[in-house]
Amino acid sequence: MAKKDGSLNRRGFLKGAAAGAAASAASLVTDTPQAAAQGGASTAAAVPAPTQEQVARDAAAVRPPVSVRAVQRPGSDLMVQVLKDMELEYVAGNPGSSFEGLQESFINYGNPPNKMPEFITALHEESAVTMAHGYGKAEGKPMIALLHGTIGVQHAAMSIYQAYYDRTPVLMIAGRDEGFIQAHTAHDMAAMVRSFTKWDAQPKTLEQSLAALQRAYNEAITPPMGPTLVVLDTELQKEEARELKIPAYRPPQIAGIDLTKAREIAKGLLDAQNPRIEVRRLRTAQGARLSVELAELVGASAGTGATTGPMSFPQRHPLCGPGSSTAYDYTLGLEIPAAQASIIGPGLATLLERDSANIGFGGIAPAAGGRGARGGAGATSATAIQADAEASLPLLIEEVKRQLTPDKRRIVEERKAKHAEANQKARIEALTQAVQTKRNGWDSSPVATARIYAELWPWIKNEDWCLASPSGFSGAHNVQLWDHNKPYSYLGGQGAGGMGYGAPASVGAALAAKSRNRIVINIQCDGDLNYAPGVLWTAVHHKLPLLTIMHNNRAWHQELMFVEYMCGVRGRGTDRGHIGTSLRDPFIDYAKMAAGYGMTSEGPISDPAKLAGAFKRGLDSAKRGEPYLIDVITQPR
Amino acid sequence: MSELRRTDHPGAPAIKLSRHPSSASSARRGILIVAVTAVLAIPAYAQRGNSQAPTSPVTGNAANGKAFYYSYSCYACHGYNGETGRAFVGNWSSNLATEENFIRFLRGRANVAPLAPSTSMPNFAENTLSDKQAKDIYAYIRTFKNAQPDVKNIPLLNQMVEDAARPSK
Repeated sequence: MAKKDGSLNRRGFLKGAAAGAAASAASLVTDTPQAAAQGGASTAAAVPAPTQEQVARDAAAVRPPVSVRAVQRPGSDLMVQVLKDMELEYVAGNPGSSFEGLQESFINYGNPPNKMPEFITALHEESAVTMAHGYGKAEGKPMIALLHGTIGVQHAAMSIYQAYYDRTPVLMIAGRDEGFIQAHTAHDMAAMVRSFTKWDAQPKTLEQSLAALQRAYNEAITPPMGPTLVVLDTELQKEEARELKIPAYRPPQIAGIDLTKAREIAKGLLDAQNPRIEVRRLRTAQGARLSVELAELVGASAGTGATTGPMSFPQRHPLCGPGSSTAYDYTLGLEIPAAQASIIGPGLATLLERDSANIGFGGIAPAAGGRGARGGAGATSATAIQADAEASLPLLIEEVKRQLTPDKRRIVEERKAKHAEANQKARIEALTQAVQTKRNGWDSSPVATARIYAELWPWIKNEDWCLASPSGFSGAHNVQLWDHNKPYSYLGGQGAGGMGYGAPASVGAALAAKSRNRIVINIQCDGDLNYAPGVLWTAVHHKLPLLTIMHNNRAWHQELMFVEYMCGVRGRGTDRGHIGTSLRDPFIDYAKMAAGYGMTSEGPISDPAKLAGAFKRGLDSAKRGEPYLIDVITQPR
Repeated sequence: MSELRRTDHPGAPAIKLSRHPSSASSARRGILIVAVTAVLAIPAYAQRGNSQAPTSPVTGNAANGKAFYYSYSCYACHGYNGETGRAFVGNWSSNLATEENFIRFLRGRANVAPLAPSTSMPNFAENTLSDKQAKDIYAYIRTFKNAQPDVKNIPLLNQMVEDAARPSK
């Protein structure tokens, strides 16, 4: 950063001073091997030795001198106030100079400072966005992820793609600094992720910035929900706001069905002898509650998506199940196609006016059928109504109440009793059958995956729990063995099947859980954890109620089986199928990895008899806000 | 669940293997894609073989077989004990009844009829796995014992079924 005349510009000076201070600070703690090594690093020799005063300040022995603030009311204070007004709980980021003004406001502005939102230290932008992804699925609303210029946005790209695919609200803010490092800025910062970002803006003024943050929030939570991005210039963060007023926040108006449709559907449900309500993923917990209210009012049996994702009908509610008869004569689908009527919010296919050059595949672009049918985009029911199901429920409930006669009320009560009995019987039968297969390999060493789920259940069944990690690779045994009764009981798959999701999504869910007296379970695939394991440190640093149990089969096991199969198809032998698919030579010690990040841990455990004790210790610790990791060596599948 | 879309992992009921129906370019490149479809949800109990282990003669070397069971990644789908994933212990197929059946079975896998769902197990051609090696593997898997207890002897699972009769939290 030295200029030609040999003088240093501001940033160069700061960088040099920082390096010198870091080296000096390290020398103060030379009892740690890392610090000793850094203290002797040759890079530190290039900068002048710090003064005693600098060393003292760096060690926090003295306070910095009081000086006149450059601005009285920095623009970033107003930005943070806008975010406070929208009640955003958390902002996750790893630091970047392009948002240094904003970060300073996050940590210092407000009373109390660093609350609503609280700054969560991430170690990778991909982790920050996936934390927000997990939080968004657990709470049905966004938290913020901070991204540093072009490099931060690209680090985050995979996570943004996944949240987009998963229709999850995330509010992202990218800093932009034109005057610093050219490689870190761009004329149109959001362009590189626009294909899979629902809405973005790069405002030119502070006033526009405040409005853009409000709109980004509203766009994120309006169906189809998704990640949104506001690019904020560093100069706007630092400018003097003077008397600029903060615009009042107005929540979005989300379109539900109209009164005519509500009357028609209410009549259909009440006139039916055996009505059915199929519920999939609604937007928020309120939607799940309203779906229960509707089913109870009309005495309908209900289908649920609670074992595949969040915000659905409680699995063990007496009305949830096949009901006393599966000959349904009126079926209402909520975010799912149904025979008679379905209310389905707009899909991401409606966003195709945006740059969609790279997303014409999978579940994003196609509007009809097959893999495009993501609970909304691919509705094929002839009677599908494009409106948000959750927003439609209040009017529908009101209309049902209006049409309910005493006679119908009596019939509903009789029907509910029959459904409750039949559903309980069906549950017992399903479970009785399921346990016959779950015992497979019960005493095996390494541990059978079903035993992990079975052993864990008694410890969590009376807790308020959330399984935040995808369970498919570890056998999805929760689907049959556990009761998913809360809108956040199980948060479902990765979204786009991308690895590196389980741990950061669980940390995000644990952020949601922290103030709600909830615990989060992460059954963590080993291959998945190695993408960005630094998120374990974030969990410890922020004292999150998180229990991580490794499904450690020492491979990207699905890929091992794919490659092995391909070896067989080509007749070349399977004995090299492990190359590039296995995590061996050496095995990775996850308990040590966690310990390195400051997380209490134990394992590896390969004896199933040792699980129960470990789970108890882990849960006790997690409930104290001390996250815990248990490395379990498992059967491959 | 998204991660199950390409899954032919053991435990999945049945897998349809086909060229991707909507990807002409992939088909032109001859790329086989394991399609997503679980063709028929055949319950596991409907596929059950003989609960008793075979008693036919064994001529291979079980110690060598153990090494091959690992190096040829048999464990990947069938578990380290044959009890998990695509389990065969306690569910002995006629393909495992004798050494001869086993070898015939290994030779008739995926490369013979790669599009048929029944051949989702890799093929083991003789030039990659000799008859002698196959017999060693057979000898090893014949040492596997059915160690899984009856459900009635697993209090944890019994408790779950009992709990289902009560209201859930």
